[in-house]
Amino acid sequence: MTTPTTTVPFRRSTTILTLVAPVAVLACATLVAVSWADDLPDPVAVHWGAHGPDGFGGLASAILPMVVVGLLTSVGFWALSFWAGRSAATRRLAAGTSVGLAVFLGGILLGGLAGQRGLTDARDAPGPTTTILVAALAGIVCGALAAVVSPGDPERPATAPIDPHAPRLALSGSERAVWQRTATSRGMVVVAVVAAVTVLAVTVVTRVWALGLLTVAIVALIATMAVFDVTVDDRGLVAKGLLGWPRLEVPLDEVVAARATTVVPVRDYGGWGYRVGRGGRIGVVLRKGEALEVRRTGERAAVVTVDDAATAAALLNTLADRARA
Amino acid sequence: MLIRIDPSSADPLFEQVGQQVRALVARGDLPVGTRLPSARDLAASLDVNLHTVLRAYQDLRDDGVIELRRGRGAVVAHAPDHAPLHRAIAAVVAAARELDVPPATTLALLKEALR
Repeated sequence: MTTPTTTVPFRRSTTILTLVAPVAVLACATLVAVSWADDLPDPVAVHWGAHGPDGFGGLASAILPMVVVGLLTSVGFWALSFWAGRSAATRRLAAGTSVGLAVFLGGILLGGLAGQRGLTDARDAPGPTTTILVAALAGIVCGALAAVVSPGDPERPATAPIDPHAPRLALSGSERAVWQRTATSRGMVVVAVVAAVTVLAVTVVTRVWALGLLTVAIVALIATMAVFDVTVDDRGLVAKGLLGWPRLEVPLDEVVAARATTVVPVRDYGGWGYRVGRGGRIGVVLRKGEALEVRRTGERAAVVTVDDAATAAALLNTLADRARA
Repeated sequence: MLIRIDPSSADPLFEQVGQQVRALVARGDLPVGTRLPSARDLAASLDVNLHTVLRAYQDLRDDGVIELRRGRGAVVAHAPDHAPLHRAIAAVVAAARELDVPPATTLALLKEALR
């Protein structure tokens, strides 16, 4: 098939949000840290154990790991959204992760050092719990902000009819139809419950109550990532999490063709959940096996692992035919 | 689950929705415990009035096919083994085809017999 190659849209804003902004955050954090050099003990505390600081080093050894991890992540996600960011979800995930991680790492660096200003011995450095909490919160907020301001997908109605070889369903002209199915990841639910219980136990034993927030985060992750309601009707495809979010939508007028396919989560998407896969395909990947694949205008694609995907694909193609006739 | 309705058919829409769910449950396509879409979502998908779907769900609940739970929506409650009925229906279909009896006539005969 000869489809014209469309360039990836919004490359400039992608570069600003996913590369320039996080690099600027890391650079500022580095400059502030260096400007504190005279107030800081030498060596500074760079690692904390259960009983206070247990790792020490020069100022550079506090700065470098944060900056290197932040830079590598940011460059990686920038490359992903620059070359494969055809879907808004890819661009949002990339910008959110880069900015969020840069703010988190910068916050950890500055928070850890701020408590040591004026000290002569780094062994007196205060514990890192508050710093980690504040940095994590700031990272999440800034990451979410970057994701929100990333440009969305403009409407791109398809002009061509659906591929005549794509599967169809016999539907009379006056009939209306809906296909609905709930897709659940049993494995994800089991792993998350075990993780939540373990973290809760560790929280109680170590009395680091901030860890309890991790339990909350894991439960939130199950609610948003392990169960999706998938619907095909005359508005198109919608897959939505238990709380109504996240949502993966393909409007009927942007459907190029739908089919049933097979997904291998780690090979195709690097894991499970709401993901960006090879070639920038957006996937709701809950298990291995049967999946509904919807090719969309602008060389985008959406994939949902769900049973009875063949019926869903046939109905979507049939409804799209009807709307385009 | 695939649900299809035909507004041009003489059967009321709520009955069509109910029949589809009944058939899916009877065939075993919707096992016990399956969560059905909320009445609001289903009504929006089929572009029918919310009360049409609510009426269908209420009839299904009255017949013990589904349970309606506050907050959890409609859940398949009871999936009886209808295998003998499916075999008999297959036999009726085969006989009707062999005798060249049109589907409308076969349906009329069945409806009459079920009265």
